[in-house]
Amino acid sequence: MINLTNIEKVYRTSSIETLALNNINLNIRKGEFVSIMGPSGCGKSTLLNIMGLLDEPSKGTVELDGQRVSTYRDKELARLRNEKIGFIFQSFHLINDLSVVDNVEIPLLYRSTNGKPRQTYAKEALEKVGLSNRIKHFPKQLSGGQKQRVAIARAIVGQPEIILADEPTGNLDSAMGNEIMNILQTLNNEGATIIMVTHDENMAKRTHRLIRLFDGTQVQ
Amino acid sequence: MIRHLLKLIWNKKKAHSLLLVEIWASFLVLFGLTSLLVYNISKYQEPIGFTYENVWAVSLRSNRDTTDLAEKIQRVLQRIKTYPEVESATQMSSNFPFSQSSMSNGVDYKKKHVMADFYATDENFAQTLNMPVTEGRWYRSADSVGKYTPIVINQKAKEAFFENELPLGKIIGDRFKVMGVVNTFKAKGEFMANTPAIFELLDPKSSWHDLFLIRVRPGTDALFEAKLVKDITLMVDEWSVEVDHLTDSRKNQHNLTLVPVIIFLTVSGFLLINVALGLFGVLNLSIAKRRGEIGLRRALGATGNGISEQFIGEIWVLATFALLIGLLFAAQFPLMNVFDIQAGVYLTAIAISIVVIYGIVTLCALFPSRLAARIQPAVALHEE
Repeated sequence: MINLTNIEKVYRTSSIETLALNNINLNIRKGEFVSIMGPSGCGKSTLLNIMGLLDEPSKGTVELDGQRVSTYRDKELARLRNEKIGFIFQSFHLINDLSVVDNVEIPLLYRSTNGKPRQTYAKEALEKVGLSNRIKHFPKQLSGGQKQRVAIARAIVGQPEIILADEPTGNLDSAMGNEIMNILQTLNNEGATIIMVTHDENMAKRTHRLIRLFDGTQVQ
Repeated sequence: MIRHLLKLIWNKKKAHSLLLVEIWASFLVLFGLTSLLVYNISKYQEPIGFTYENVWAVSLRSNRDTTDLAEKIQRVLQRIKTYPEVESATQMSSNFPFSQSSMSNGVDYKKKHVMADFYATDENFAQTLNMPVTEGRWYRSADSVGKYTPIVINQKAKEAFFENELPLGKIIGDRFKVMGVVNTFKAKGEFMANTPAIFELLDPKSSWHDLFLIRVRPGTDALFEAKLVKDITLMVDEWSVEVDHLTDSRKNQHNLTLVPVIIFLTVSGFLLINVALGLFGVLNLSIAKRRGEIGLRRALGATGNGISEQFIGEIWVLATFALLIGLLFAAQFPLMNVFDIQAGVYLTAIAISIVVIYGIVTLCALFPSRLAARIQPAVALHEE
């Protein structure tokens, strides 16, 4: 499904060169639930951004469903992100000026889905994460766990094959974290491929495979 | 997407209220300015109805002389007509073309009361100013023997008094008989509104009409002007003579109209530049504040161009809200016929103002929105 070969990522400024990822080779199969662990600054988020087509590697190739994406233009990458990938972030990244249902509808906007079906799909996604009673609320009126559930609803509304979760439980207490993890496991059981960055060993143990990074290098 | 933008702007209406007021105020200032410009341009496009090149206005002042004034004025006129440089000469009231003086009066006809500009002239007026008579003829001195004062009216006066009636031979105001019709006569020049005008045959025995218009041959120079003034002062001792070239008087009249317009244009220009700079700053700040949202939207499937279009779309939605409020005010002008100006002038001004406002906000949004499009999603998401 996702195949990374000899991935290297270097961040350059005028005076400093930082090697964020070094010689990463990774193959994520369809339906897998993979967790990525490692200390802060080891390149976990960078790796997730490269898999999510949000960032380009300095070296190496990224293949998605057997297609090399390095030659893709902005428009094609945006379409792939929209149709194949759902993102969940540690800080939720909800737009405070939009209601819960409007936040969840955003990926469908970029697919030009019409208003009525867009709202129906958004409500279905919210129902799946147990928030159908909060659709008119605004993010500021929600708890952290509820916000993360809205973010999950937004990630799954377009029925993507891959879900990339960057520390989805990082800002939540353990009970709420478990709840989010249960939702992710349910999604995985339904067929979604999930790649999750986490600091929490207990959460990582609940996934199929664990990848450990240290100083930008894959160690396990 | 439009609904999404509407929701986004509506939910942030408090934060956008100042911007809204700024765009609304700019629209109203622009509407005032464009109304003034469109009104003047529409007036400018109408012909003045006469030619003024090589026409001089010769004003006489009798000063302390009080005897036989009318006879002296007539002697001077006859003398002027004898010069080979003079093609045509006419006597008229002091409100000659492009002068500062005017004379207007109300005239009644069949329960209609029409305000018209009055010009007392002799029979050579139309010839001297090359004014074509479209119906009937210009009055002659011989027409004064009748009971009524012969008059010629312009097209506007004809429409005001007679609508579809034939005007020739009709008596208006109980004392004027219509002899002919001319097309337009805008005595104050191109920027004057085309209003009803009535030319009446002056009484040559009156000493009031001490002004002549003379059409000189092309190329006639200041030497002749000096000679003319000298000859007249020799004929009527103690009188003063003043010669105005109508081309110069026209320029002065234009300046009277254009100077306030230019001042208004300059002030409005500065205001619009300030508004544009303000908008530009606010949009730049807004993009800096919304980097996380930009990153998120890119992650969810927006292209760089899509982000750029979103920011331009947002400012358009905001401008549309402001313009709708502005239109409520501006629409009152044509509806209530404010300043008695045609509705078309206001409607054109509204259309131009809307286009300019959209143009300004688009220009202001263009650079910040391009910056937004270039933001790297991974970096923006990480910053958040």
